[in-house]
Amino acid sequence: MQVYKAFFKIIQKNRGQILIYLVVFMVLALLLTNTYNPPQDTDFSKVKVNIAFINNDSDSQLVAGLKTYLDENANLVDLPDDTQKLQDALFFREVEYILRVPAGFTEAMLSGQNVQLEKTTVPDSTSNVYMDLLINKYLNTAQTYTTYLPGLSQADLTQYLARDLAEQSEVTLISNGSHSANAEKSGYYFNYLSYSMFAILILGVSSVMLVFNDTDLKRRNLCSPIRSATINFQMILGNLSFAILTWLVLISASFVMYGSFMFTPPGMLLLLNSFVFTLAALSISYLIGNLVKSRGAMSAVANVFALGTSFISGVFVPQELLGDNVLTIASFTPTYWYIKANNEIAAAVSFNADTLQSIFTSMVLVLAFGVAVLAVTLVLIKQRRVEA
Amino acid sequence: MVINVKNLVKRYGDLIALDHFNLEVQEGEILGLLGPNGSGKTTAINCILSLLKYDKGTIEIYDQPMSPEAYDIKRNIGVVMQNVAVFNELTVYENIDYFCGLYIADKQTRKKLVAEAIDFVGLNDFTKFYPKKLSGGLLRRLNIACGIAHKPKLIILDEPTVAVDPQSRNNILEGIMALNRQGATIIYTSHYMEEVEQIASRIAIMDKGKIIAMGTNEELKMMIKSGEHINLELLNPEHLDLTEIQALPHIISAEVTDHQLVVKSSRGKNNLIAILDHLKDQNITIGKIYSEPPTLNDVFLEITGKELRD
Repeated sequence: MQVYKAFFKIIQKNRGQILIYLVVFMVLALLLTNTYNPPQDTDFSKVKVNIAFINNDSDSQLVAGLKTYLDENANLVDLPDDTQKLQDALFFREVEYILRVPAGFTEAMLSGQNVQLEKTTVPDSTSNVYMDLLINKYLNTAQTYTTYLPGLSQADLTQYLARDLAEQSEVTLISNGSHSANAEKSGYYFNYLSYSMFAILILGVSSVMLVFNDTDLKRRNLCSPIRSATINFQMILGNLSFAILTWLVLISASFVMYGSFMFTPPGMLLLLNSFVFTLAALSISYLIGNLVKSRGAMSAVANVFALGTSFISGVFVPQELLGDNVLTIASFTPTYWYIKANNEIAAAVSFNADTLQSIFTSMVLVLAFGVAVLAVTLVLIKQRRVEA
Repeated sequence: MVINVKNLVKRYGDLIALDHFNLEVQEGEILGLLGPNGSGKTTAINCILSLLKYDKGTIEIYDQPMSPEAYDIKRNIGVVMQNVAVFNELTVYENIDYFCGLYIADKQTRKKLVAEAIDFVGLNDFTKFYPKKLSGGLLRRLNIACGIAHKPKLIILDEPTVAVDPQSRNNILEGIMALNRQGATIIYTSHYMEEVEQIASRIAIMDKGKIIAMGTNEELKMMIKSGEHINLELLNPEHLDLTEIQALPHIISAEVTDHQLVVKSSRGKNNLIAILDHLKDQNITIGKIYSEPPTLNDVFLEITGKELRD
């Protein structure tokens, strides 16, 4: 196993450059994933909208009931019925919604007629919708009572409305909050992993291939009684060992940071996805290693390829924010499909046939990239072997 | 017979690198393959080692046809290429161990052979050095050690002393002769005739892809007309009439360069007294006199009409 041993001695001699990428990845991954705070659904707090309530109707029980209901769900701001002052209040955001109850409102409601309340709002404010919903809810409920219980007294109607609208539904959060946070964080971690994986593999594999592809060394090897197939086998074994070792080192931090999550189905899927990506990255690195002719070119290609594919595939910027053209180009790289699968794994609350099919399709595509590039590389090597 | 090459033809497009090249190498000899740059020495070696495909001819090593898959034959061959071919990422010891390991699987045997090779080339103090830290001469020695560590029966050295200082060159040449004394058959290519004269038991002179003369050093020199060269230092050469000297019997040529008169005479005849008498008659004072036997360069010059180092 002379070639296999020499492979790792050459890697060891280039360990400085490789370690830089490893350290950069570890620091980046730790910083970025730990500073990321996913939105916490459990932190929801109700905020009341400031509104003004102007009554042009009589002080009926129905109007009083509406005012009381709105007071429970919004902040009633006391403003005089002065157009200038009301507009100023809106402009300076003292209130976001002004509700005016027109004259004849109570009578119209009790007789079952259609009633239109007047409103003045801040343009494009989401509070409008919320207030509209509240008011419609009150009016619709009142209308239901007057339609089906004609002759109902105003006092009873107000009482029924107060009782019905006070009903609350209890909502239970089924999904596990801490689980989602880990999934999302580890998704980011595994996304960043692709950049370092590519850079490390290109540097490592190319540095060895540069040496073994040196014409004089190649000739010396060819003069020996070792078969070319044996040399190639040892070389491929060396490449595989190096790739798996790199993968193990890169994923090890995920076990430290996310602990038992890595043994859950999404954790295992992330690991599997990263392993498949490692094989594809190795294949591409092997091709690059056979194409580059100098150490300078090797570093340049490692940086440009690893960074370039990472940028367009959504490692640093989420895929949702990238343009369609960029994503179309990115879809011709395995990084794109790897990130896509990662995002799907991280986002999935539960795994059903549909989500799994989409994830595994991405993995198969990544693997297909690897096989195709390996085939091209082997053809290239065969063509070059004609005369050393 | 160790090597038997018949009618080897190798073309690079229109250029004929080897033109019906024939070579026979006997067991235990040092065959010097001498020729100017571009004469086809390296091409011939590469074809013999199956590193190059050739257009025509046959190559047999140890009576077996040589091919890229002739692994049993390759096991007996050691190669030292013209360019240093070692791993810069491996130490001196690791390099020799790597190349020896391609031939010798057993670890203990290999350890012993590597130690012997290091001792043989005198790199004992540099075993942990990386090649980039070695001088040119030491690097060449490492290159040789990598080629001979597995104790091959046939060693092919392709210009192993290019760009090496005279002291290292002597060490390398002595080492090659020592390998031969240990039983190895050696093919040594060079364009340095002095080296080939010094170590080769038989010499093949190449030009334009074919062997133009072959034999021992003495046999080759016997092939040509010119014998010894008489060199005379003249203190007042302005009075010299060269035509009279050129007209003397057995004289092939006479030339004056600066104060140096060089007279080439035919083999077996000595005209020194006649020349001296003639110079005395012309009142020419002589500083010093010495004579030289013909060189391989003379052989090459007489056969091809050009210098070996042209």
